[in-house]
Amino acid sequence: MKPRILIILVACVALLAPLVLPSFQITLLNYIGLYALVVLGLVLLTGVGGMTSFGQAAFVGLSAYTTTYLTTTAALPDWLSWTNGSPWFGLVFGLLLTAAIALILGALTLRLSGHYLPLGTIAWGISLYYFFGTMTSMGGHTGVSDIPPLTFFGLILDQGEEMFYVIWVILAAAMFITHNLLSSREGRAIRALKGGQLMAEAMGVNTFRSKMIAFVISALFAALSGWLYAHTQRFINPSPFGLHMGIDYLFMALIGGVSSVWGALLGAGTLTIMKQWLEDLLPLILGSDGQYESIVFGLLIVLLMQRSPSGLWPFLVKLTPSSWRSNNHLTIDDNAKTLDRRDLPARESLLLEAKDVTRRFGGLIANNKMNLSLHAGEILALIGPNGAGKSTMFNQLSAVDTPTEGEIIFRGKSLKGKNARQVAEMGMSRTFQHVKMLPTMSVLENVALGAHMRGQKGVISASLHLEREEEQRLLKEAKLQIERVGLGEYVFEEAGNLALGQQRLLEIARALCSDPCALLLDEPAAGLRFLEKQALAELLVKLRGEGLAILLVEHDMDFVMNLANRIVVMEFGELIAEGLPHEIQTNPAVLEAYLGGVE
Amino acid sequence: MSLKSRFLLLGCLLSTMSVPSFADIKVGVISSSTGPIALVGIPQKNSIPLLPKEAAGESITYIPLNDSSDPTATVKAFKKLIDEEKVDAIIGPSGSGNAMGVIQFAAKSGTPMLAPVGTAAVVLPMTEQKKWVFKTTQNDDLIASALVDHMKRTGVKTLGLIGTADPFGENWSKVMRKLASDNSIEIVANESFQRQDTSITGQSLKLLLASPDAVLIAAPGSSSVLPQTTLKSTGYQGQIYQTHGAALDPFLKLGGDAVEGTILAASLMLVLDQAPETPSKAIATKYVEDYQSLYNKKPATFGGNVFDAGLLLETAIPTALKTAKPGTPEFRAALRDALESTTELSGTQGVYNITPEDHSGFDERGRVLITVKNGKWQLLEG
Amino acid sequence: MNVQVAALLGQDGLTNGAIYALLSLSILLVFTVTRILLIPLGEFVTFGALTMAAIQTGKPLALEWLLATLMLIDIALDVYSRRDRTVSRKQYQMIALKAAYLAVVLFVTQTFTLSELPMLAQSILTLCLIVPMGPIMYRLFFQPLADAAPLVLLIVSIAVHVAMVGIGLLLFGPEGGHTKPFSNSMLQISNIFIKSQALWVIFSALFLILALFFAFERTLYGKALRAAAVNQVGARLLGISPVFAGKATFALAAFIGCASGILIAPITTLYYDSGFVISLKGFVGAIIGGLASYPIAAFGAVVVGLIEAFSMFWASSYKEIIVFTLIIPFLIWRSMKASHVEDE
Repeated sequence: MKPRILIILVACVALLAPLVLPSFQITLLNYIGLYALVVLGLVLLTGVGGMTSFGQAAFVGLSAYTTTYLTTTAALPDWLSWTNGSPWFGLVFGLLLTAAIALILGALTLRLSGHYLPLGTIAWGISLYYFFGTMTSMGGHTGVSDIPPLTFFGLILDQGEEMFYVIWVILAAAMFITHNLLSSREGRAIRALKGGQLMAEAMGVNTFRSKMIAFVISALFAALSGWLYAHTQRFINPSPFGLHMGIDYLFMALIGGVSSVWGALLGAGTLTIMKQWLEDLLPLILGSDGQYESIVFGLLIVLLMQRSPSGLWPFLVKLTPSSWRSNNHLTIDDNAKTLDRRDLPARESLLLEAKDVTRRFGGLIANNKMNLSLHAGEILALIGPNGAGKSTMFNQLSAVDTPTEGEIIFRGKSLKGKNARQVAEMGMSRTFQHVKMLPTMSVLENVALGAHMRGQKGVISASLHLEREEEQRLLKEAKLQIERVGLGEYVFEEAGNLALGQQRLLEIARALCSDPCALLLDEPAAGLRFLEKQALAELLVKLRGEGLAILLVEHDMDFVMNLANRIVVMEFGELIAEGLPHEIQTNPAVLEAYLGGVE
Repeated sequence: MSLKSRFLLLGCLLSTMSVPSFADIKVGVISSSTGPIALVGIPQKNSIPLLPKEAAGESITYIPLNDSSDPTATVKAFKKLIDEEKVDAIIGPSGSGNAMGVIQFAAKSGTPMLAPVGTAAVVLPMTEQKKWVFKTTQNDDLIASALVDHMKRTGVKTLGLIGTADPFGENWSKVMRKLASDNSIEIVANESFQRQDTSITGQSLKLLLASPDAVLIAAPGSSSVLPQTTLKSTGYQGQIYQTHGAALDPFLKLGGDAVEGTILAASLMLVLDQAPETPSKAIATKYVEDYQSLYNKKPATFGGNVFDAGLLLETAIPTALKTAKPGTPEFRAALRDALESTTELSGTQGVYNITPEDHSGFDERGRVLITVKNGKWQLLEG
Repeated sequence: MNVQVAALLGQDGLTNGAIYALLSLSILLVFTVTRILLIPLGEFVTFGALTMAAIQTGKPLALEWLLATLMLIDIALDVYSRRDRTVSRKQYQMIALKAAYLAVVLFVTQTFTLSELPMLAQSILTLCLIVPMGPIMYRLFFQPLADAAPLVLLIVSIAVHVAMVGIGLLLFGPEGGHTKPFSNSMLQISNIFIKSQALWVIFSALFLILALFFAFERTLYGKALRAAAVNQVGARLLGISPVFAGKATFALAAFIGCASGILIAPITTLYYDSGFVISLKGFVGAIIGGLASYPIAAFGAVVVGLIEAFSMFWASSYKEIIVFTLIIPFLIWRSMKASHVEDE
């Protein structure tokens, strides 16, 4: 366990630092700690969750101003006077207020896509910054001084060395929490936000909720930093909470490595020391008659981004011996209890039914009065030439798309108005025509994402790792399904390293993980080799034997003919034939559709 | 080696890299030579080579640092000077907010701090901490009272205020509200703007609609120009007053015809050629000439504030040297005491008489009324 | 508020709005072709305005030496990148052309008393000094990052902005600049005064916008340039490589930014660090246009100018808060309209 040694070593160094280092270095380390806390939030939000925020500095300010208000106002309003100017209540209120504002801002802006989100965070970041300046009771732009120091059981923490311990303990706790969270069920959902939202929703993940979790946590980290800042600096004015600081935090995140917890620390440290260095060195090199710092600083960042766009941390990791970097830091307890399974519907009962489904895109009719039904314990294949409207049909059956007319009924309920997530909860699971998975995550974690709905433990237990028992059950389930589809030897492999056919199997394992009663597979055999196809067919037969209902959209005729109980053939958006495999093989309409008619 | 220890090593390297100096007395100078208040900070930084090189036979070394107008960076620079360089005194920082944030560290370490900032809040009301702070600019109310006197003399009954949304403008608005009500002048409009605003038409119209007898513009540096040109072009006819924030030559250049007839109160640095012969005039003249020969342009008054801080130190150091050696807490305490008993010291900005209650120490010799005539500064008599 | 006040505020809002519109169009243009959000656009505005101011006040320019340095680096890179390939005659010509351009510009700045030139010549000289920096900026900072993630591009864009603000402070000092108006007269329509400089700004902006529209909607070459991002084959057929498209749009953005700076320099004071706020307002316009629609972006930018002018009047302390809070509903509206299948 080399990483553990690293952590212990860092902790020891940190413990000793104030005893040996000169006071100024401690001041620098304090700032590095304060910045790293904010950047850690950005790692979670931007690096992991894929949401870029320029507004973190405003959250820092929000909590700094809250605690300043509570601790320096001479006459607090009656309903607050019981706090008695204690910084600890400042912390509580700062966190509460920040969480509340983050919830509101998140509700407004987290649905923004693409470049809208960062620009949105610039907008509210600037607004909050100017708002701080307009609060005349809080010193306006001039600021407030004489903020009291922290006290801890009578101990007054007004020395940099004392604050050093407070800051770094809190930072360590925040890193611990983030690390725990990322290797949990909720964390996997957050990790899926970057590039896998559609898939995550189909696995029953409420992606908006996950976004909100990442956003609020990052805001709370910023708030912690702000509270510490106010009581370390003991003076605040709006300028450290402006957009330029929001930009600096992002610089730190990207310099360090935006997708790793340690990158936050590295980035905050590098940027702070780099600025300090430039200030000391440039006047020696270029003379003190100019102001070259910001020029060189900007150019250095450009250079860094050109040389190492993913930051310094991954670059450093590459330098370490490869034995330190095994990506298998997950353990699976084979003795964990297996997950409870849902009761499957009675064999041969009707599960999924399309009734006169019509879908129009403008003037184009993609599906016209389609009818089909899927029963428990059968494999139904949906085939047809290219452009027959199979994918549109598939999307409507899985509630990604809504019919223009007619309706889809699943387990007796209409899917009208239901989204992919709700359908997943009802027991339908699917794969994608174009494989959707998270290539940098392990196969195990990708598949475990499928079991998302089968866990209940929330963010708090995840961040303290109180949910290990449930987590083990989820991982065990994932491992079982991986073995079931024949990927047993790749459990800890990075998913992106798998061949295309294997990735399709991964998708099936993931779908099975959600314990479905209906399985919708979009071209599962594409890209598989002969033996793999055979194995897949065996698996599907076995699943059918267990009572699952399986719908296949497939091109491979041989595969379908030997496997399916019934076949539905589409052409030009309409159903042209339905029946047993051998009936379809001889159906003239089908032959005409596929072969362009019999001469 | 762990990352953290790499950092620490870097840090240690850093600390050894600062050039060891053998000077006897060390003075740190923090200025904002980049960022929003660079306009104030640059002439201050530029004045460092003009500061006294020795006092009572001991040489003085100056350690310049830039805080990029950021209060957090000011704290860093301050701690660096105190903890690492072990300076005997600090001149700076440039910004009012930046100064407010570091007073506690000056006091805790017992280092005299000479702040060339505008706001009187750094020395008033006097507290145990502020004992360590000396302010080398005229308090805003000293300048303001000169303007208000002029307003009273010329029968101004209603006044419009427009100031920047920053510590400078805020403090002026506070000071003027008080002074105006004491002198029964009614403030009929009080507007604010951002330094970088490209247009101030809205605020100007608001002032215009309130039709005050006079308008006072409180903005540091060239940001004082745009309100005035806008007011003129929207047709305001009344008298326009400016603060010492406008007391620099770019004001004339940028303002052109629109600033003709402006009245402002400032130190006599702008009108040296017309000022009566005083010790201050001689010092200021020399300072301006030296600065010009170095940089080929005239210094803004902000530079003079730093220069005066040097003069204060030069006067106080011999006294302090009698009790202790430089580099010791005793020396710093003695220096502080010596600074506090400065009497009748002429600087570029006026005459300093520092007392335990007044750590700015200017009287009316620290400001004159100036107007703009034919595109030139003109001393306003009476 | 009466009609006169409303008219003055409206005039002010339109003037600023016209500049914002120009900027938001060049932001859009750069974004659609290169996927870069051009944060340093504002610096072209301030460089333009401050160079013009420096020329008029007879201050020694330093900008030409920055241009010279950048161009020499560019030429050196040209030579270096072709070191082991046979160099075609055309490429030699290109290098010679660059060197000649630089020599002419340096000759002009060093021999004439710039403050005595007619204003038109001063404007042209300013443009000649600044516009070449656009393509060089693309080449040095963005071209090596053609395949980078959007976030990396954004960060580099901001870093370039930071460096340029530093250069601005170094070259022009902190004092700010202001230039002579093109004309000083006032037009009077009944009892409403209109500054002719405001009309200059509005009409020049309008002219530039129309010219852009014509160039990009009506000419094959312009269409190909716009298509370079999505359809590289088609663009190549017209001799437009992605690199050329990048350089060309950056040149155009630099031109528009610089021209905007020259236009508003007579009616305001610009500082070395004013650019960011100005370009942010351009971004707001571009966002309202959904980072795609040119007419809506221009319209949005004008609306921003107007909102700004009126909120200055009603609540000067809250102006920025009002302007930036008002974007959020627009963002939400835009985001809802945008198709929702992001992913991939």
